[in-house]
Amino acid sequence: MSEDLQALIDEAVKKALAGDDDAINGIEDRVTRSKAKAALVKAKRAQSKAVDENSDSEPSEEQPATENSENIILKIAKILEGKFSGCIDGEVHSDFIQLKPENWFEIAKFLKEDPDTYFDSLQCNTGFDLGDGMLESRYNLHSMKHLHSIEIRIKVNIDNPDIPSVESIWRVADWFERETYDMFGINFTGHRDLRRILLPEDWDGWPLRKDYEEQETYHGIVVPKVKEGWE
Amino acid sequence: MGVVHGQEMVLNIGPQHPATHGVLRLQVKTDGEVISEITPYLGYLHRCFEKHCENVSYEQVIPFTDRCDYLASMTMNFGYVVAMEQLMDIKVNDRVEYIRVIMAELQRIASHLLAIGVFGLDLGAFTPFLHMLRDRERIIDLFEMTCGARLLYNYMWVGGLSHDLPKGFVEATLNFLDYFEPKVDEFENLLGHNKIFVERTADIGIMPAEVAINYGVTGPNLRASGVNWDLRKDNPYSVYSKLDFNVPIGKGIKGTVGDSWDRFYVRLQEIRESVKIVRQAIDQLPKDGDVHQSMPKKIRPPKGSIYSRTESPRGDLGYYIESDGSDTPYRLKMRSPAFTALGVLNEIAGGWLMSDVLAILGSLDIVLGEIDR
Repeated sequence: MSEDLQALIDEAVKKALAGDDDAINGIEDRVTRSKAKAALVKAKRAQSKAVDENSDSEPSEEQPATENSENIILKIAKILEGKFSGCIDGEVHSDFIQLKPENWFEIAKFLKEDPDTYFDSLQCNTGFDLGDGMLESRYNLHSMKHLHSIEIRIKVNIDNPDIPSVESIWRVADWFERETYDMFGINFTGHRDLRRILLPEDWDGWPLRKDYEEQETYHGIVVPKVKEGWE
Repeated sequence: MGVVHGQEMVLNIGPQHPATHGVLRLQVKTDGEVISEITPYLGYLHRCFEKHCENVSYEQVIPFTDRCDYLASMTMNFGYVVAMEQLMDIKVNDRVEYIRVIMAELQRIASHLLAIGVFGLDLGAFTPFLHMLRDRERIIDLFEMTCGARLLYNYMWVGGLSHDLPKGFVEATLNFLDYFEPKVDEFENLLGHNKIFVERTADIGIMPAEVAINYGVTGPNLRASGVNWDLRKDNPYSVYSKLDFNVPIGKGIKGTVGDSWDRFYVRLQEIRESVKIVRQAIDQLPKDGDVHQSMPKKIRPPKGSIYSRTESPRGDLGYYIESDGSDTPYRLKMRSPAFTALGVLNEIAGGWLMSDVLAILGSLDIVLGEIDR
């Protein structure tokens, strides 16, 4: 990488840290931009470690939610707060429920078995790298009986990414969690068979984390890097 | 008298095996001919699409969706553009919506034809496979006429389509449907009521509804278990609410509800329903409307996330898209229906004979490109 590009990236990262995202988003060359984004995530991570504060700054997300889904999410958040007090992480959002990882297993069991909620189907489980040294696991639940759905988000620290596994509640979570573990390194405690699923067993690192760097060689084979200017 | 157990043997099916529909390795524990446990090993076709998507712009994601489920690329495109249009709050005109539905349903016919044909092939029935591939070819010709590509179309774009319908497409499609409709009955007689086929599939690999829901199985596999669930009806997107069609479910005609034969038969009936939908859509297709009308110049969705589901030939196809306000996705997850369908294999195929396991695998209609992404 030429020095000019590095300087450009540094400049953009500095601006982004000051709160101006447009500097990075405005970089024309795609490869440079993604490098800048990776540098930003790293810089943020270093910052959060250095300051060692609990980072409360959550990316504010606004999304038009239909009235019906808003109602159901707020309703379920209220039920959960009553049943498992202190389970909700931070404030109550209108389009998802942010939970603490501690009693997720019991909450999941309750959500599936309670006749009012009855989320019998786990639609999707996604891992997520929030930057700032935080990972997130997101669950999209759906009830085939009541035809309502919610999204659950659970944030964990990247140094200690433990989330209780719900694999024994929804069997579909077995492979979903294996995939999330494979890509993000989120450790689902209590999973009976937590192995990599798409990548080889002996692969290094967690590819979908933003600061991922490919290993140099794999079994003596050189791992090809993304070339400059690759589109 | 106790039960005599032979020595357990571990056997690998695949990764290079025609019955695994791609590159998939099944490690099976066998006791004689009886399979006691199946452990699928995936990832032979993993091409890191989700990582790639984070480095390309939103419109460049569409060719990646093509290459996931290469047997139903149109519906993969469809799912993605529906998700993006929800995220960006774009409303496309009716002509675009109807063309999309026509393409998606033709694709569903093509995909189901291949699914049934290959299912028969797995059981040794070679002739029906050729009949079905012959007719699938005509659908692919229609796609080629529309967008130039035969398998990987990149046809549906965010806010529109790459091309309008070519001249003569409607006539060609109607001609095809007239030719094709009687053929469906032929397939049913040729394969569905064939004595050997029935013996090999009826009462084999029964998947109860609760198991199917718990394992996240969707699409025709779920409907074969007797659950009336189709996103085109239950959570209508595009113009499906304006079209009249039935949702076939498994009734256990030859055996038990949720057996392999039901999974075959639901697909066959869905072909009939899709023919019905294409006819209606062509009937209602608005004459005018620019297919590029609602296409944004630069795709830059607002900050936020969306989880959107559409009905692909294999089931609920979900896209989870998180946007950070830039022109590349921050995270894009494809929730693949075949991934969950393969997950249930050990549950429903354990305890059956070796030859039945391949029949059950064939009846689930998996595509490895979509599983591994």
